[in-house]
Formats: sequence, C-alpha cells, structure tokens
Amino acid sequence: MSAVYTIWKKEMRVYAVNPTAYAFLAVFLFLSGLFFYLGITLTGEASLRVLASNLAIAELFILPMLTMRHFAEERRQGTLEMLLTSPISPTSLVVGKWLASMTLCAFMFLGTGVLPVILAYYGDPDWGVVASTYVGLFLAAGAFCAAGLFSSTLLDDQLAAGLIGILLLLPFWLVSRAEALVGDELGEKLQPFGVLRHLDGFGRGVIDSADVYYFVAMAFCFLLLTTRSLESRRWR
Amino acid sequence: MIEVRGLKKAYGPRLAIDDVTFTVGKGEIVGFLGPNGAGKTTTMRILTGFIPATEGEVRVAGFDVFEEPYAVRERVGYLPETPPLYPELTVGAYLEFCAELRRVPRAIRSVRVGATMERVGLRGWEGRLLGSLSKGYRQRVGFAQAILHDPPVLILDEPTSGLDPAQVAGIRELILSLAGTHTVILSTHILSEVEALCPRAVVINRGKLVAQGTIPELRAGAPGGAWTYVEVRGIDGPKLGKLPGVEVVEPLGNVEGWEAWRVRAAGDPREMLAARAAAGELQLRTLERRMPSLEDAFIAMVGREGGPA
Repeated sequence: MSAVYTIWKKEMRVYAVNPTAYAFLAVFLFLSGLFFYLGITLTGEASLRVLASNLAIAELFILPMLTMRHFAEERRQGTLEMLLTSPISPTSLVVGKWLASMTLCAFMFLGTGVLPVILAYYGDPDWGVVASTYVGLFLAAGAFCAAGLFSSTLLDDQLAAGLIGILLLLPFWLVSRAEALVGDELGEKLQPFGVLRHLDGFGRGVIDSADVYYFVAMAFCFLLLTTRSLESRRWR
Repeated sequence: MIEVRGLKKAYGPRLAIDDVTFTVGKGEIVGFLGPNGAGKTTTMRILTGFIPATEGEVRVAGFDVFEEPYAVRERVGYLPETPPLYPELTVGAYLEFCAELRRVPRAIRSVRVGATMERVGLRGWEGRLLGSLSKGYRQRVGFAQAILHDPPVLILDEPTSGLDPAQVAGIRELILSLAGTHTVILSTHILSEVEALCPRAVVINRGKLVAQGTIPELRAGAPGGAWTYVEVRGIDGPKLGKLPGVEVVEPLGNVEGWEAWRVRAAGDPREMLAARAAAGELQLRTLERRMPSLEDAFIAMVGREGGPA
C-alpha cells in the first residue's frame, strides 16, 4: 500500500508542474461550460442531461491524452528501468498511477462544480440526479484512464500512445449507434457494450449495479492488461 | 556476490550474449570491459532483473535473479547508462521518492537523503529542478539514487561517460570509497578507468567472454608479452638482432641522439645486453623491461574493429 502511495505522490508532483495537465484541464472545463450552455438553451431544463452525455464523449478523447505520458514517458526517460528494478510490484506502480490520474479527474469535476450551483440559482435541479450524474461520469473516467494507461505501455511515443488509447475506446462509444452500421439484429446485441447506454441510468438518477459493474469491470480489465503488458517484458 | 553461469540472451536469431560465465567476490570492484555494442548493457540489465536471460543462471547477493527478483532488487543499486531522472522534480523530491521506492525506513529517510547528497557533492542542491542540471550533476544524482539504500551490490553502467575530467575524478573517488564494503561491477569502454578503479576485469566482445583476470594478468595476455626497451649507440638493427636470445627488434626512433629499440627475446635479455655494453660492444643509456599496455592487450582481444557482430 505504501508503494502505491509513493507512486501516487510522485505522479501528483509531476502533474503539478506539467503544463500538459493544465492544458487538458482547461479544455475539459471549457467543453463543460460549452455543453452546459448549449444544454440549457436547447432544452430549457434545469438539468445536466445534455452536459453529461457530451462530457462522457469528451472524456473518451481527453483522458487517454492525459494518461498517455505515464509509461511512454517513463520508458523514454529511462525511469521505467529504475521503477521496474526497484522492489515495488508492477501492480503497485499501475494502481498508483491510475489513482493519480483519478485524483486529477476529481479536480476536473470539482472545477465543473460551479455549473450545478448556477442551475440552482436559476432553477430547481434534482440534486439526486446531479449526484448520480457525477458518479456515472467519474466511473467512466476510471475506465477510460485505465485504457489510457494500457495504451501507454504499448508504445514509446506519447502521442501515438494517446491516439491508440482513443482508438481502443472508440468502439465502446460507437456500439451505441451500432444499428446504423451493422443492422438492427446485431446492433441490438452489441448495445449492452456501449458506454452511453450504461450512463443513461446515472443521468436519470438511477444507480443500477449492472451499470456500476460495467465500468468497474472495464477499469479492472484495462488495469490488469496494463500490469500484464509491463510484466511481458520478462518473457519478450 | 555476483555469479553468472552460462548466460545467453537471444534477440530473435541473434545472440546478444553467448555463454558468458564470471563471478564477482564480496567487496570487489570489477570492471566490465568491452567495445561499444559488446553486450555490456544487456548483461547489466539481466543482472538487475530488468530483462530476462534466455539461458543460464544469474545469482546476485545469493539470490537467483529469475526466481527471487524482489530479494535481489532490495540488495542492488543500479545506475543505468543515462541517469533515470524526472525533469519535473527537484533533487530533494526525487531522492525522497527514491528512498521511499527503495524502502528506506521513514525514521532515517531524511537523514539518509542528506548524507547521500553530502557524499556525492550535492549539498545545497535540494531545490534545483532535475531538468535544469548539467550532465555532471545529473550523473551525481543518478549515483546518489543508486547508493541511497546502501545496497551491498552496485551495478554501474558507464558511470563516467560524458563527464569532464574533474567530474570523472569525482565519480571515481566515490566508487573507490565503496571498495571493501560494497561489491561493485562497472561497465566501461575506457581502459584507464579500469586501471584506475578495478583490480580485476571481465572482458567481453560480441557477446562472448574473451578474458577475465587481474589487470597485470590481462596485460600479460597481449601478444608477445613483456619486452625490453633499450636506447643504444654504436650498434645497428641487424647486429642487435643477432645477439644471443634476441628474436625481434623494432626501431622506435631516435631519442636525443640515441637509437631506441623494442627488443623481444627468449627470456629476459637485460643481463646479456648489460654485459655486452660493459664489454664495449655497444653504448647503452637505457635498459628497461616493459609490460604491454592494457590497450595493447584489449586490442589484441577484441580486434581493432571491435563492435557488434
């Protein structure tokens, strides 16, 4: 556990002085504001419905770019060699890095906290729905960060790793529209794999255990793949 | 402390390391010598457990690197060829991170970091960003990182490459200060470094072990072995060559009016030459037995071209 904390602390220190992290934070907040504004003006509802579904898609593109440096950069700098020859396990390393990126996500969501306050000023939002929307977005962020970390282990080049991360996640978005691509019958079967479908409930104020499991399982699978990918060096 | 037996490492069909066997005793400083691309870094990465071997047995500090990697990692300090630094961190934050990573107990952590910084000449540099350091200071931080947890075994990959002479001297002093208490294996292609630091060396070329032994042993292994340097007058090359026991003479030029020669003979020709000089057959100013240099021996072992296969 202390090893995870050691890694987490180091990552937070690096994030604190890393301009890229701030840039993505700014992009995320800008998009949040934009979607919020559009949502209000288009629907006239005092809700985060439009914001939530669009922000989930924004996460899908932004989070792999935020996590892309984690292993690609360590490898390029030669620090991966130090980490993997020190007495900490690859699992602690991966979990520490994932928790650090999740902490950053928490800051991002904190930054959007002003939006529900605005809602409350002009209307009467359902706070339960607001809370469950955030839970859903945060769970999705966990899964996407895990995928980004995994893609970061695959390539030495950060940017390529980030793009691969987005490519890995795109199908999870596109299956929501699968009927249009592969016909109704297959599309119907693919639907349950889509990210948006599982965010629906959260957006309506329903926290369904199936939806929670979906994101937790996705995060877990990608974190496991990340660890395996790091260990695979031992038999390559 | 380090035992390598029958080590092989294949990258596809190419053997980067081919049947290398050597040992390093407790408290020894051993040079790992070879031309660029000989397989030094690969071997060191296997010793630290960073990459696996294809075949063979590697034991460090009594533990098998493949079977008990964590036991080995706790006992090894490793300085890779480029010091593993985070440009975003300060010297102090980085070393504190390394101390935690290496499980230096919390109670002694800050004392240990301070003492190590003192030892490598980084006092007062805590607040500097690693990204702003010069090469010499980066190397010092890398070295500090390797000795921070006081490991019994140190693996140093080209610890002085790219440093200026004063910095090289500083790092060498540090390495020598570890002798006796720490087992050190350091790779280099700089021969004077091995002569300055290592009583013993292991030489590899193209992934194969070509020689190992003490420095005098390695030097004696050069072709022709020891030879005799003379400065004479009143005798020419052919005559010198016909003296009893003399096999080959090579001219080394004129030194202040005296002819210098490299004389190779069966046995030591010094007494014979001195006797001839006393008998008036030749005038003799200098008569000296010389060992081949490590450089001669090295080039004989790896060939002039050296390099990867």
